[in-house]
Amino acid sequence: MNNGPLIVQSDKTLLLEIDHERAQDCRKAIAPFAELERSPEHVHTYRLTPLGLWNARAAGHDAEQVIDTLLAYSRYSVPHALLVDIAETMARYGRLRLEKHPTHGLVLSSSDRPVLEEVLRAKKVKPMLGERLDDEAVVVHPSERGNLKQALLKIGWPAEDFAGYVDGEAHAIDLTEDGWELRGYQREAVESFWHGGSGVVVLPCGAGKTIVGAAAMAQAGATTLILVTNTVSARQWKEELIRRTSLTEDEIGEYSGTKKEIRPVTIATYQVMTTRRKGVYAHLELFDARDWGLVVYDEVHLLPAPIFRMTADLQARRRIGLTATLIREDGREGDVFSLIGPKRYDAPWKDIESQGWIAPADCVEVRVTLPESERFVYATAEPDERYRLASCTGVKNTVVDQLVAKHRGEPTLVIGQYIDQLDEIAERLDAPVIKGETTVKERERLFNAFRHGEIDLLVVSKVANFSVDLPSAAVAIQISGSFGSRQEEAQRLGRLLRPKEDGRSARFYAVVARDTVDADFAQHRQRFLAEQGYAYRIMDAADITAES
Amino acid sequence: MAESSSPRTLADQFRSWPAADLVRLLEARPDLATPAPQDSAQLASRAGTRASVLRAVDRLTALELAVVDAAVALGGTVSLADLQAHVNAAPGAVKESTDTLLAMALLWGSPDELRTLSVLGEIVGTTVSGLGPSAESLLATYGPSRVTALARDLGITPGGERQRDIAAIAAHLGDPANVDELAAEIDPQARKILDHLERESTEGTVESTERAVSRQEAQSPVDQLLARGLLVARDRRHVAVPREVALCLRGGRTTRARVDAPPALATSPRDQALVDRTAAGAAFELVRHIELLLEHWGTAPPAALRGGGLGVRELRAAAELLHVEEPVAALHIETAAAAGLIAVGATEDADAAWLPTDGFDIWNAGSVADRWTRLALAWLDNPRLTGLVGGRDANKKPVNALVPDLERAWLPETRRMVLDQLVDLDPNLTLAAGTGTASLVERMKWLRPRRPAQRSEAIGWLISEAAVVGVLGLGGLSVHGRALVAAEDPKHEAAGALEPLLPEPVDHVLLQADLTAVAPGPLAQELAHDLAAMADIESRGGATVYRFTATSVRRAFDSGWSAREIHEFIAASSRTPVPQPLVYLVDDVARKFGTVRVGTAESFLRSDDEVALAELVHNPKAGPLRLRRIAPTVVISDMPLDALLPRLRELGTAPVVEAPDGTVRLARKDAHRARSPKHRPPVAEARQTARITATVNAIRAGDQAAANRPTNESGIVRGGPMSTMAVLRDSVEARRTVWIGYVDNHGSTVERVVDPVKVEGGWLTAYDHRADDVRSFAIHRITAVAPAQV
Repeated sequence: MNNGPLIVQSDKTLLLEIDHERAQDCRKAIAPFAELERSPEHVHTYRLTPLGLWNARAAGHDAEQVIDTLLAYSRYSVPHALLVDIAETMARYGRLRLEKHPTHGLVLSSSDRPVLEEVLRAKKVKPMLGERLDDEAVVVHPSERGNLKQALLKIGWPAEDFAGYVDGEAHAIDLTEDGWELRGYQREAVESFWHGGSGVVVLPCGAGKTIVGAAAMAQAGATTLILVTNTVSARQWKEELIRRTSLTEDEIGEYSGTKKEIRPVTIATYQVMTTRRKGVYAHLELFDARDWGLVVYDEVHLLPAPIFRMTADLQARRRIGLTATLIREDGREGDVFSLIGPKRYDAPWKDIESQGWIAPADCVEVRVTLPESERFVYATAEPDERYRLASCTGVKNTVVDQLVAKHRGEPTLVIGQYIDQLDEIAERLDAPVIKGETTVKERERLFNAFRHGEIDLLVVSKVANFSVDLPSAAVAIQISGSFGSRQEEAQRLGRLLRPKEDGRSARFYAVVARDTVDADFAQHRQRFLAEQGYAYRIMDAADITAES
Repeated sequence: MAESSSPRTLADQFRSWPAADLVRLLEARPDLATPAPQDSAQLASRAGTRASVLRAVDRLTALELAVVDAAVALGGTVSLADLQAHVNAAPGAVKESTDTLLAMALLWGSPDELRTLSVLGEIVGTTVSGLGPSAESLLATYGPSRVTALARDLGITPGGERQRDIAAIAAHLGDPANVDELAAEIDPQARKILDHLERESTEGTVESTERAVSRQEAQSPVDQLLARGLLVARDRRHVAVPREVALCLRGGRTTRARVDAPPALATSPRDQALVDRTAAGAAFELVRHIELLLEHWGTAPPAALRGGGLGVRELRAAAELLHVEEPVAALHIETAAAAGLIAVGATEDADAAWLPTDGFDIWNAGSVADRWTRLALAWLDNPRLTGLVGGRDANKKPVNALVPDLERAWLPETRRMVLDQLVDLDPNLTLAAGTGTASLVERMKWLRPRRPAQRSEAIGWLISEAAVVGVLGLGGLSVHGRALVAAEDPKHEAAGALEPLLPEPVDHVLLQADLTAVAPGPLAQELAHDLAAMADIESRGGATVYRFTATSVRRAFDSGWSAREIHEFIAASSRTPVPQPLVYLVDDVARKFGTVRVGTAESFLRSDDEVALAELVHNPKAGPLRLRRIAPTVVISDMPLDALLPRLRELGTAPVVEAPDGTVRLARKDAHRARSPKHRPPVAEARQTARITATVNAIRAGDQAAANRPTNESGIVRGGPMSTMAVLRDSVEARRTVWIGYVDNHGSTVERVVDPVKVEGGWLTAYDHRADDVRSFAIHRITAVAPAQV
């Protein structure tokens, strides 16, 4: 028996006991090939996936190294079947190569003929291939580069892409590190992205993903297309880029519903890109408008399906995806991997918190009990009405009053799903409300006022989930969530995670109606955060006043 | 065998052997001992039988076979020195092999005069070296003149007597100097032919061998060779290299290649501790997998196929359950069967299924090391070639696990031999990845050249099986594997060696806020059992990950745990503080548990008048009604409604009956009605009609027969069958209807009017007017025939 920190399970999960003295070394050693799945307080779970192993191969690790690492850190012996499986899986990578051919353009080649024959016969792959050059190579339609890689991945023969990237139109971009500097993990993230060519960087909200994007642009030194979720976020990107880089306002264009500027650095919204006129995507030519050297996808977990397809045609350009959570509620994480690129960087939230880059957060689930009359209404309601009934119970309003009163003076956000409920609360608290119909201008005004401390209470709907930078927010009260969306919960918590000047920890309250679907959904939503190490404290509504 | 004087016969030799040598012989050739031979003479004759020698020869190494081959090639009676000179191996190795062969009684005699058993010439012959027949036997086909001519060509003065000349030629060719001289004379093309025939050990085919050519005149390459005796004609079309010549060409050795030592194994160094740890891990997995699988099969047994095997789908399900490949799952299942842990039994529905045996429970109670040892020993001596499972048999049918016909008698011995090769390796050396198994196959081929063809495949399987079982780790023999294969008392020593390598059971779990509990090692059995009652297992292996869910906690409540007990258990078994969400989860479930109660009742009574119900329940006469008040306004009874209702009325209440939908049903008595009788289906009628028609037909036919009865004797033929037959034949030809008198089965005489169709074999076949069908009549029963009077 080896006194290692790692336990290798036969279902290909790796359990890392983090209180172990060698846990940090082990984490570094297994990070290149294992996916971090959960990181609660004592034991982190990693998973070995074919994708992860192939990524490791792509990064230059071989099966022997992976196996030796497992053997070195494993507390118990490693299941034999698993070792065999690792060797076999990793041996599948690189049998096929995508290469540039001097006369035929893009070709798929392999020195392993049976593999090539198998692939050529696969139904999904066949249409993407052209003329057979010889026993070992076949022409690939250039536009199918991404689709082909995706299809090959699905049939278990990932191709190693040697075809390289186009450099794009050069455009000097430098970081202006005056009064701030790139943090260690940000630098690591950019380096591992650049080394890998394309891929996704996963960092918690508030950990400075925009700066990672900016640093990637500086590294590329080329014209860049940035895709973001909405206009407010586009403006924030613009401000941040002007502040952090040598780019001037004139060099940055906004391509949204209202403006259609194309500049060396262009920020476009997902929405405008997916707008269709008479059945065709009207703004597709943006992708070809310049010879982009880099495409940045902000909040890549929200990337709409049509953009997936466009991305498939963009395989020759470098792509970086930024997100806090790679959980997609539609389960298409795999598509993100194969089209934008594999996960290049990931760090447990708690690690970054312990380094002081994000604020510690205290998550509290406040449970309210429905009054007898409402319980009755709830019990007899139609199933699709129940969630709304439980979420919008009047008892929550009292709790919100108490919580707001308790944190009076601290910048507080009240977040909810249902507009009626938000309006009602806004009225009770006499606070401004931001919802879908609020104009961009009004939104910016309110956010700015909040940022500068002019107002300390804001009631917001889900429009504020993403990419809205509210560094000062210290308390969030979630009165209703969108069903069981785990990434939304993470995003909402993320609003609070910017480090506070006084080092205070943030408070995240989720107000939940006991014994209803509201509580069930809340539990589902919290699972992701619990797995990130954010343990919820449960509290009864009656205890709020007692606590303070 | 230190006999100085040569024994006369094999029996003599046996008589002179000390008992220890006989013991060794019978150990090496166990078939000689059953039934026990009466004396040395019988033992000797049995030792020389073809069947017994064949078995013994199958166990020889390549070197030993080469020695036998050389002894045969040298005429069957040789000295040790001769063998050492001719076998292409170190003299010491040859001596050792010779001793082994003597001990096995395949050779006998003294070192100066070793004799082979005569059947060896037939069984082994010169197949190892591929040497052709001796010159003497080849020349036997030559006529005297040709012998004389050849002798003269070779510079021997022919003595005139053919036999002696042949012997002289043979002796001449046996001298390497002469052969070298002869070979130097021939041209390169002839040399090529000679070398080819010698290397390939084949005969040559030529147009004709009947060519009288002399050493001087010979022109064509074949002629040159024939004239010098380097080739000898076997018959008119075939030529062969005489054994003496071939021996000379091979430098006096029977084989060109050296045969002295088994090929070495390809090895690579590896830390023994790592090997042990890996193998112990595999051993632990094996035990865990079999336990898991069999516990699963105890509740959900897989059906046994009619032939006794396990279906493909069941195997796949087992592989999925265990997270292993199908061949590995098959090995687990076969090993469990070999250890007697599963057998075919009957399920509740009396279907044949594979079930854990009662032996499984005993096995399961043991320590991991003991359990492993039992499985590993079962595997070691299992004659079933489990590697075939999943493939296809000779008829292209898929081979299922646990089917009866996988047994191969040679397998246990081969398996042990393979592992013995690894026992001999130094610790810290393992089979090299990739080339190791191939080298092992080569070595086995040397050790048992005559063994079955499936071997090289089987050895590959054996090695991977041994890794799964945990005998090997990373290609090296583990310390417990070594004990299993080589120890005096494998049962205890292997378990003892494995014990310290196994993870120690842990007595705690780590609870986390995401409602998981991680047991960082194998849990103590009782703890594991209790934890499994209240949490779902999410991941298994060295550690176990449990997840608490509302469902799993409720399961614990269902099986009798109380909230307090669960809290106490969790707190006691956790090394870390209990996370608050888990406490809440248990309390939440506890709060909901039992809020709705269900039970059975035959009928209920409800009333808004609580006093009336109370009065009824407390009425002394209501005792037999078994009323129970479950709410102020509800009383239930386990009596059915129709029995309860009159009794309630007797007690003075005036109950109203409720229909299932809650509406009031009037208590009016139902008037009884009988079911209308069924109308007879028309089929019966049709049948009746048909029967009547048949009867009428019969009557009419009877009438016809009566009408046709001859009124006088004219035309009636009465007499023997011969005359009857004659009339009937006529009638057949004439297609005439006849009247016959016939004795039926009851002995009574009946009359029939028939149209004869044929007369054959003593039977008349005819259309019978009465039966309205063709019938057969025995001619000897026909009493009279007359033409019908139409």
